[in-house]
Amino acid sequence: MDFTRRTFTRLTMTLAGATMLGLTPSLAQDKPAPFDNPGNVKIALVRYLSTGDFFQAYLSGVESQAKALGVDLRVFDSRQDAALQADMVDQAIALGVQGIVIQHGLTESMKEAAQRAVDAGIKVVAFDVNVENDKIPQIEQSDRDLARLALEQAVKDNGEAWKAGYVYVAGIAPLDRRNETWVEFKQKYPGINEAAMFGTLDNPIANSVANQARSVLSANPDIKVMFAPYDEFAKGVKIAVDEAGLSKDIKIYSADISTSDIAAMRETDSAWAATAATNPAVVGQVSVRALAMLLAGEDPGHNVIVPPTLITQKDLNDNDIKNMEELSAKMPQFAHADVAMPAWMPNPNK
Amino acid sequence: MTSRDIAIRYGFLALLFALIGFFAISAEGFASPQSAVFIFQSVAITGILALGVTATLVVGGFDLSIGSVATSAMMAAAYVMVVLEQNALVAILACLLIGAIVGLINGFLIVYTRVPDLLATLGMMFLLVGLQRIPTEGRSIATGMTMPDGSVANGKFSDAFLALGRHRFDFFIPNLVPVSVVVLIVLALLIWFFLEYTRFGRMMYAVGSNERAAELAGAPVKAYKIWAYVISGIFASIGGILLAARLGRGDIASGNNLLLDSVAAALIGFAVLGAAKPNAFGTAVGALFVGVLLQGLTMMNAPYYTQDFVKGAVLVVALVFTFALSNRGKR
Amino acid sequence: MAEDAVFRVAGLRKSFGPNQVLGGVDLDLHSGEVVVLMGANGAGKSTLVKIVSGVYRRDGGQMMLAGFDYRPESPAEAMRAGVVTVHQNINDGVVASLDVATNLTLDRLNGAGAPLFLNPRRIRREARAVAERMGLHMSLDAAIPDLSLADRQMVAIARAMAHEPKVLILDEPTSSLSSAEANRLFALIDRLRERGVAILYISHRMSDIRRLADRIVSLRDGQIAGVFADRPLDYEAAVNAMLGQAMGRRTIEPRTATGTVFSAENLKLAEGARPFSLSLGDGEVVAVTGLVGVGKTALAETLFGARRPLGGSMTLKGSVYAPASPGEAIAGGAFLVAKDRSENGIVSDFNVYENMSLPFLRRLSTFGVSRRRAERALARRQIAELGIVCRSERDDMTTLSGGNQQKVMVARWMAQGASLFMLDEPFQGVDIAARHDIAAKLRASAAGRATLIFVTELDEALETADRILVMSEHTIVGEHVNAGIDMDRLLAEVAGQPVRGAA
Repeated sequence: MDFTRRTFTRLTMTLAGATMLGLTPSLAQDKPAPFDNPGNVKIALVRYLSTGDFFQAYLSGVESQAKALGVDLRVFDSRQDAALQADMVDQAIALGVQGIVIQHGLTESMKEAAQRAVDAGIKVVAFDVNVENDKIPQIEQSDRDLARLALEQAVKDNGEAWKAGYVYVAGIAPLDRRNETWVEFKQKYPGINEAAMFGTLDNPIANSVANQARSVLSANPDIKVMFAPYDEFAKGVKIAVDEAGLSKDIKIYSADISTSDIAAMRETDSAWAATAATNPAVVGQVSVRALAMLLAGEDPGHNVIVPPTLITQKDLNDNDIKNMEELSAKMPQFAHADVAMPAWMPNPNK
Repeated sequence: MTSRDIAIRYGFLALLFALIGFFAISAEGFASPQSAVFIFQSVAITGILALGVTATLVVGGFDLSIGSVATSAMMAAAYVMVVLEQNALVAILACLLIGAIVGLINGFLIVYTRVPDLLATLGMMFLLVGLQRIPTEGRSIATGMTMPDGSVANGKFSDAFLALGRHRFDFFIPNLVPVSVVVLIVLALLIWFFLEYTRFGRMMYAVGSNERAAELAGAPVKAYKIWAYVISGIFASIGGILLAARLGRGDIASGNNLLLDSVAAALIGFAVLGAAKPNAFGTAVGALFVGVLLQGLTMMNAPYYTQDFVKGAVLVVALVFTFALSNRGKR
Repeated sequence: MAEDAVFRVAGLRKSFGPNQVLGGVDLDLHSGEVVVLMGANGAGKSTLVKIVSGVYRRDGGQMMLAGFDYRPESPAEAMRAGVVTVHQNINDGVVASLDVATNLTLDRLNGAGAPLFLNPRRIRREARAVAERMGLHMSLDAAIPDLSLADRQMVAIARAMAHEPKVLILDEPTSSLSSAEANRLFALIDRLRERGVAILYISHRMSDIRRLADRIVSLRDGQIAGVFADRPLDYEAAVNAMLGQAMGRRTIEPRTATGTVFSAENLKLAEGARPFSLSLGDGEVVAVTGLVGVGKTALAETLFGARRPLGGSMTLKGSVYAPASPGEAIAGGAFLVAKDRSENGIVSDFNVYENMSLPFLRRLSTFGVSRRRAERALARRQIAELGIVCRSERDDMTTLSGGNQQKVMVARWMAQGASLFMLDEPFQGVDIAARHDIAAKLRASAAGRATLIFVTELDEALETADRILVMSEHTIVGEHVNAGIDMDRLLAEVAGQPVRGAA
């Protein structure tokens, strides 16, 4: 473990050094300093989480925006080791980077490391980790907006009074934020009746949730709407609804999206009506853009919120979207967010 | 038979029936054929894994790798169909082969290299959790996914394969019994008959109770032990096939929850009919017991953490039945 | 020394369910005296020992230790009170995962006043003192599993000695000791006797009893059947009291074999051992005797395919015989009743009939499915044949007495016809009556096969065999036809030198 990690870090640095030597300065006269000479700009991405589709997509977003800007990006991957992640910030400082994107991590371990970077005159932005620092903009995907978009669609489709099942596991930060919106919605629409609340993170999650959802459906066969604000939950609920033969009677509203989710939503008579999602690649792009604004002396604001997109079953069918790439291509609002986009900022999608 | 004997023998079954009675009264819709079938369905996969691990318990071993064998088989099924674009039969054979190979490796490690069973299968568990990520570099597998080399996987889960997760047989009521339940029942009957009524099963019990005596009675002890792990691996891979058929994609998962639930079912099985030893009937009842509890509690809107608590409590009670109340609890 | 008994048991009663095991036992133990307790299996000896040593609670009666009421709630309490027991099961007396030194001092680690931290040097010092007092010659660093059974037994006894007991109970302590080791033990018992320890000695071995007994108490059916204290001790009467019948002195009409069933040429069992040849005939019972550790079990296991010889060849019924596993040996018609039945024979999770059919399940199965009805019928036949005392063939093995368990082991292998029938220490922990039953059965059924028994006790060989082979240092050093044996020569061969050793 240790060996590979050390090797990996060394490898990253060597590669970064090689890239630096071989860089050709791109010409961009109309950009503010330091991006008029972007080859001299080094930025680092210090990651806590990296395995899984979401993080893969996030990285690709960071990479594409860095490429569009023409800056030199180094990636530090601590693979869920909080202490190592803090050390990696120091490594990035020692390497002389001008900007750092901190991606996830623990407040406790990252707060001081982030402060050290700021003290060293380095610009820092943080995604999905609160480093409690006024100088560091927080990049967020808005979980509240995700839930709101999905629920507004549910009200639009089903009216203001229905019996609902709700999938929730307390103690998971994004789920807790999505839950706040659900609570507000229930107050706003007294006609919404939460007949059952369930949920589990036992893996495989979809299988465990399917088992629970089956029990809930047999206890409450008159449920009309299932709110499952996490795609693994929604997948499980969909399996249960299919197995109970209720796919025409129930509609599922969720958050997040993946290629397999698209397939599930597009099945014939799929109960999965809509999902609200933020494109992780866009979040990655926004992270780099916010950092670039800081470097150029502009202020992206303390909270940089990446707005979600509502994706309905109809959208997918009308555009014949089969995977994430096609989703980005055919729904431009999903592929790009007009956040942290000053006029000089290159758009990586163009 | 003293009242104590009766308590040991029938106590756990009585508890099961009491529970069913309680839920039938307090949870509306619990007492219906659909609900009964669903209980079976919810425990089908863990039940199949538990039957496999029972075989290793019988020879005095243990298999911690079953959960990850199941999820690896699920990934393999998805990979074969979505990426390699093969049909359902190939996918199923690939899964079974993986289960058999893992079982063989476990058996060889334990029998010939003398690695203790818990450690050997623990190592195998970690190995498989890592291995299942390698072909896709950690991505879940679904039709249309982008592969590490940038190409798009265009294969899809074949309808025949998905039918394993979705088809239902008519049983008095049309479309009632899902395939997984039928597989569970068939495998339970098979392993029960194998362990109780064939000489191979009897010799496996002998190996588990007194390995030296079995060897001096002429039994090929090493072969029996290896076979037990092969059975366990194959059963786990069958569980993985059904999991893949139900989910319709390949999910990265450690399968630890599958492992814990199935081990719990097998251990609860010790208490059924006062057997005080691993047995297939007990394992099936143990799995059912957990299923009834979870179905009932979920229907009564109990949050998920109470369910873990209740599962643990049932296991502790069962172990007390086995070891404290029964004098035969020598294991 | 003292006229008053240091330990007194009066009217002790104990039942298990409807079964009365002890029906009012009186027993006095005096300082500086060895009392031998004799009793057939099932007479209640083990129960008596377990009550005295605090394992079981008594149902009725009194126990007094040095004039005070004695009511041990646990073995540890009995030990602290000064009543120390060395049990028959050797592995109960030692902790396998610790070395010899720690085992010898283990009991000092418990109880009030035990130090919190271990001082390895002190442990070593104390252990050395215990070992010297006992005359133990093994390394104190040795791990228990590396020791022979005999050495383990010595450690267990030495450990018990470390308590300076008032009353010492020895439950068949010599059953796995060689005569040299037994002599060491006897010397130690003599010393303890001189120091004023009251000793209760339980044994079937007449040689032990002759050597040690100051007084003999015979137990039969849970009651005292006789006490023999007058010199010279009347051993025959004691045996008769224990069995409730006069056992005639058994002599053998040695039979001569009719044709060779098994032969071995230049068989070499161990590095450096002299190769030997061996021939067994149809219908004869041959005993291999010798001290513990001279290779009797090695020979048995070689003939049974459980180990490979270093050299030589074997023939069984005219064809080459080289079994690679017990399974092949069984298929070839060579059966072995292994020694240490609880370790090598009994499957404790199985009942009587399942234990009996274990090696022959293939023959009792159709397409792999075992025919339980046939198994049970066979078991019932064997139970009747060997006079096994049990309620039915479905009894748990644990409910049977030691002698009956051994009979089940013998019956297991007699259920099918053998060409070469071997029994390794078949009389281990078996009372005289059961021993006679088994020996008689072996002789009566001997025709049609070669029978080979491996025994350490010479008496057992003399009572059972037509021919006696003596082993020493992994080879055969002597052969005697069992009629008018030259005992001096035999004993010299057993001892491996021209000195009288075992008796």
